[in-house]
Amino acid sequence: MITSNSFADKLDQERWFKYFLIAPAVFIILLIGLYPFVKLILVSFQNITMFDNELSYQGFIHYERLFDDDRLWESILHTIIFTAVALPIELILGFLLALLFLERIPYKQVFVGIILLPTVISPIVAGATWKLMFDQRFGPINQVIAWFAGHEVKLLWNIEPALVWPAIMVAEVWQWTPFMFLILLAALSNVDREQLEAAQIDGASWWMTFRKIVLPAIMPVMFIALLIRGLDLFRVFDVVWTMTKGGPGTMTETISIYAYHMAFREFDVSYSAAIAFLIILILTVIVVAALRRMEVSR
Amino acid sequence: MPNLKIDNVNKFYGDVHAVKDLSIDVPAGEFVVLVGPSGCGKSTLLRSIAGLEEISDGDIVLGDRSIANLAPRDRNIAMVFQSYALYPYLSVYENIAFGLRARKASDDEIKKQVDWASELLDIGDYLKRFPRELSGGQRQRVAIGRAIVRNADLFLFDEPLSNLDAKLRDGMREEIKRLHTKLGKTFVYVTHDQIEAMTLADRIVLLRDGVIEQIGAPLDLFERPKNIFVAGFLGSPPMNFMDVDVTEHGTSMALPDGQILSLAGTKISGKIKDGAYTWGVRSEHLSKITETKNTVRAVIDVLQPTGSRTYGTFFLGDCHVVSELEAHDVSKEGEILHLAVAIDRTSFFDPETGSAINS
Repeated sequence: MITSNSFADKLDQERWFKYFLIAPAVFIILLIGLYPFVKLILVSFQNITMFDNELSYQGFIHYERLFDDDRLWESILHTIIFTAVALPIELILGFLLALLFLERIPYKQVFVGIILLPTVISPIVAGATWKLMFDQRFGPINQVIAWFAGHEVKLLWNIEPALVWPAIMVAEVWQWTPFMFLILLAALSNVDREQLEAAQIDGASWWMTFRKIVLPAIMPVMFIALLIRGLDLFRVFDVVWTMTKGGPGTMTETISIYAYHMAFREFDVSYSAAIAFLIILILTVIVVAALRRMEVSR
Repeated sequence: MPNLKIDNVNKFYGDVHAVKDLSIDVPAGEFVVLVGPSGCGKSTLLRSIAGLEEISDGDIVLGDRSIANLAPRDRNIAMVFQSYALYPYLSVYENIAFGLRARKASDDEIKKQVDWASELLDIGDYLKRFPRELSGGQRQRVAIGRAIVRNADLFLFDEPLSNLDAKLRDGMREEIKRLHTKLGKTFVYVTHDQIEAMTLADRIVLLRDGVIEQIGAPLDLFERPKNIFVAGFLGSPPMNFMDVDVTEHGTSMALPDGQILSLAGTKISGKIKDGAYTWGVRSEHLSKITETKNTVRAVIDVLQPTGSRTYGTFFLGDCHVVSELEAHDVSKEGEILHLAVAIDRTSFFDPETGSAINS
């Protein structure tokens, strides 16, 4: 009896011991993940403005404000358009580059390393650099265009409404296409060689081989890459901030920039919390929908 | 249906000379097996015929057209791969139909062909399934089905059975041979397995280091090997080799342990010069007899019963020899036997060059 008791005790001890071991990790996750989220929701129901100590419950006033805020919906529209344009460009350029690198190229690793450099740079630095590149007087972009045009050009990349989005887009695509390239290169290199050879012998065209064999094979990886980049693009901040600060006017204001503006310029903390919650909601819907699609495609 | 002519083909990989000036004529409808140890160039040659490798020099002619510089799709060749290489995201039906779709066949035509192939290969029940839901043997049938639906001029097989377990392999071997008879097409088949080569081939091409060692009908190679390499490669257990001394004007020879065998009355008697030879004896040509005259005396070292036959291993001097005996010829290790040798069916080789001595 004694032995069986001590055995049960030991089991019990072991059971508690494993919880004890994971407790610190759970605690940290709760601290950095769950606590800010809960706090955010709480703040969004208060009316913190940094000017008084009022912390009382205010109901849904900030959420109601969301619906009447044209500037907010415009910034969301900017964000969506920005994502919808930049993502396919990065995907296609990255894919073409990856196709190129499937061929035998001498010193391939070196070239891959060089191509990857932009992703290593901090986005703030990249944005600041591109701002200088696009400078209307000193920037090399205008200079290069001048060579082709044959006369001096004074394109106002950071101010002209028609040029400011393309300039940001160039910076963004320049920095993050290599990410797509790397992931797609890895995926493409893993496509079974014998399947491609079998398709060659079967007489399949490049397009048929791509559609029936290559694309399904790289789809899961490509999907993850699109998801990661899509989320990144949706919350884009650094590049836009350094290049235009959302201007001219609110022309290039993305949702992140608007939330930042409301929180740290207007000090409308509770309202910006409501905006942040809206962003979380949108992203959650996208991620859940994406993951569900992936399950289906599996 | 065209014949295949491989004409002085060379293939270099950098400095490595993988295929050396190789020529083979394959008449239409023949089943040719390229066999040899790994690295002998057999797969390279097959892939060159398919167009997956570019040849460095020479020509490959199918019928009256040179295909050496054509893209794989323009050669009208079908191929079965070792890994099956089925398209994982297409159903069995679509896998088989793939080549027909690539060639823009009509849906009716495709259905007719796929039905024909699936009936022939007995895979009609799996047409809606995906490759990952099939066993290895079923996958191999689908791969074969994909190859045969196109009316190809030439069928290539790259070690198609080596991913299957032993039992399945025996069954598929028989089916592939039956398929060849049914289709009547030219088959070029690569394997490293000498049993596959022996059982399947109309003609075996035995390769080593990119060179043809011998080419001919299976039994030709088996019974009249041109050199030690061919003799040792074909047959299981492999042929026994020992150094012997022929004396007395080719009528007598001394085995490695000093035993003397008389060659009198054999085909070779008196036709072979005195001197040192490498003597090749297959295990089945050593048989137990009760007489002791002109026999090999053997002290059995290890016995390996297989059921119908028993392999008895013994030593002559330093030479390890395997004899294939009747199941109950020997009861225990250490027994002393007298073995008669079917000398007319053994081979003598030049110990320097390894070439067979023609008697």
